[in-house]
Amino acid sequence: MNLRHIIIVFKKEVIDLLRDRKTVFATLFIPMLLIPLLNLLLSSGVKELFNEINENVPVALAQDSNTPEIIALVKEEIISKNNHIQLLNAQNPYQALHLDKIRAILSFEKNYQTKLQAKEPFRIQIIYDKSQNKSAGSIEIIAQAITEFNQAVVAERIVSLGGKAEMAEAAQAELVNIADARQVNNSFLMLILPLMIGILMAVGGIPAATDLVAGEKERGSLEPLLATKPNRQSILFGKYLAIALFSFISVLASIAGLIFSYFINPQSSSLLGEVSTSGMNIPPLAILFVLAIAFTLGLTFAGIQVALSTFARSFKEAQTYLSYLIFAVMIPGYATLFTQPSDIPIYMFFLPILNTLSAIKIVLGGYIIYRYLAMALLSSFLYVFAALLFATILFNKEKVLFRS
Amino acid sequence: MLKTINLTKKFGNFTAVSNLNFEVKKGEVLGLLGKNGAGKTTTLRTLATMLKPSAGTAQVCGYDLLKEPEKVREHIGVLFGGENGLYDRLTVAENISYFGELYNMNQKSIRERLHLLTEIFEMQDYLHRRTAHLSKGMKQKVAFARSIIHNPQLIILDEPTSGLDISAIRDVHQFISACKKTGQTIILSSHLMFEVEKLCDRIGLIHRGCLIELGTIAEIKQKFHSDDLEAIFLKVVGENS
Ligand SMILES: Nc1ncnc2c1ncn2[C@@H]1O[C@H](COP(=O)(O)OP(=O)(O)O)[C@@H](O)[C@H]1O
Ligand SMILES: [Mg+2]
Repeated sequence: MNLRHIIIVFKKEVIDLLRDRKTVFATLFIPMLLIPLLNLLLSSGVKELFNEINENVPVALAQDSNTPEIIALVKEEIISKNNHIQLLNAQNPYQALHLDKIRAILSFEKNYQTKLQAKEPFRIQIIYDKSQNKSAGSIEIIAQAITEFNQAVVAERIVSLGGKAEMAEAAQAELVNIADARQVNNSFLMLILPLMIGILMAVGGIPAATDLVAGEKERGSLEPLLATKPNRQSILFGKYLAIALFSFISVLASIAGLIFSYFINPQSSSLLGEVSTSGMNIPPLAILFVLAIAFTLGLTFAGIQVALSTFARSFKEAQTYLSYLIFAVMIPGYATLFTQPSDIPIYMFFLPILNTLSAIKIVLGGYIIYRYLAMALLSSFLYVFAALLFATILFNKEKVLFRS
Repeated sequence: MLKTINLTKKFGNFTAVSNLNFEVKKGEVLGLLGKNGAGKTTTLRTLATMLKPSAGTAQVCGYDLLKEPEKVREHIGVLFGGENGLYDRLTVAENISYFGELYNMNQKSIRERLHLLTEIFEMQDYLHRRTAHLSKGMKQKVAFARSIIHNPQLIILDEPTSGLDISAIRDVHQFISACKKTGQTIILSSHLMFEVEKLCDRIGLIHRGCLIELGTIAEIKQKFHSDDLEAIFLKVVGENS
């Protein structure tokens, strides 16, 4: 191997790739735009549903409860304080519920008035459809309104008996959350981020890898290159480094997209929002470990990509082989998606890909064991080496290089 | 300059090149003539260290093919026909300079040599254009220039005119003749009788991986008592098939 030759090949390949619109588009622009677009679509959809559930809660009265007295009671006593609930007049309330026109039907006990005057409890049924998301989500708001009505009536009664309104309440419930703030914040992140980083590392270099070996073979430019002075190892490494660089550019582009999507839509609780609230709790050393481990995963995938692209007979074939790489992350990723950081068995930190996913997961989950991180990093380095060895063997096989 | 010793190349059980023994002297142009599939490309690829011989070896520019492949590559210039293998997204000058750098030339000598080659191959008009937009003939000139940027001792040309139109073929023939005049050693392959007859000092007839005739054109004509190389070629090949 000759460092000078590696650098010459690397430089030329980078220039060559930067001039290839297809590669630049797939490496830079698609990752940069994908996340903001997804975020925009998803968050606007979620937000709409959320608004629907919380801010627009139409209800109707059951047919036998649809009397002027009950209408007045509901309007003035129950929903007057909660301007998200609207009382609609439905001819056929069950059908309306079915058609999602209303969220619930309120049905009052027949002799409710007598009971109310006698200061006895009466029953209001909230009839809803649990199979409908909106209906189920709105129920709490309706129940809350009735609870408030209850409290108001009870307070009134106490006052009329000469007591104080506060007596209506025996105890005030106050929620005190002792869970680590970072654990709560990270639960979603912990699920999705390791997988996302893994996938980005697996696919980032694909356009470059396809072009630089299989593409060159197809265009006939690999053979003259191999006939020049540098040995194959140097040529392979120059190409490999260019692919690794493009792979990291692609990951950075995705991160830029993430940041961008946070700025255009910060309150949508995007991934980054959670990172920024939780990131501060992760010790810098652990972050360094994670970065190094993710980096080595990228180097491993670049090696595998170069190898597969060498093995492929044509550009198309290379694209096909390389597109399968995403499964190399997705299958182990999904298989361990719900494993808790503290439940990850130690051997996971030695297995390819899983070591990276596990390392990211324990750091995000706040279950940081540096011994495990060190093992993951060490094994990651071994896999980089193995991938490069594999690529080298293929690149030196004339059967593979000159098959047609 | 070049000497093969029982050079043999097998692909699995199939022998593509069998026991080649020939020599190319300094300043000589040797043509390997043979039908498609005869083993010409395989022979030249092996000489260029792209393929490892299955048996035998060759001395190229004083270096052994097996022992010092990098030294061999340093002293040869290789042009494979058919596809010219240029980088479409680089300019003509960038394509040629890249190879200069790979041969460890410094920037100054690359510039000087590029300047010279630009004049010889008359590439002034498109030196800074990307090669994707050039005609086939222009591309072949650039590929030719690129393969000799380092002023190699031996030039290996595999069917250098295949796929070109008549005027481009004439250009390539002119360059080869010009090289020959300056004392350049060349080994080229072709399946065209008239091409080797026009360009080469000696020819080797290859058939099914074997070298079945080797000599100057005059020697071969005399041996077969005929003036018509084409007829001789067909006769020899026919006898063996
Ligand atoms: N990489 C390879 N693997 C297997 N067989 C090959 C390979 N390259 C060439 N051959 C076979 O070797 C024979 C000689 O091929 P080649 O040297 O290309 O012939 P020519 O250049 O004279 O047309 C052909 O039969 C061809 O099919
Ligand atoms: Mg050929």
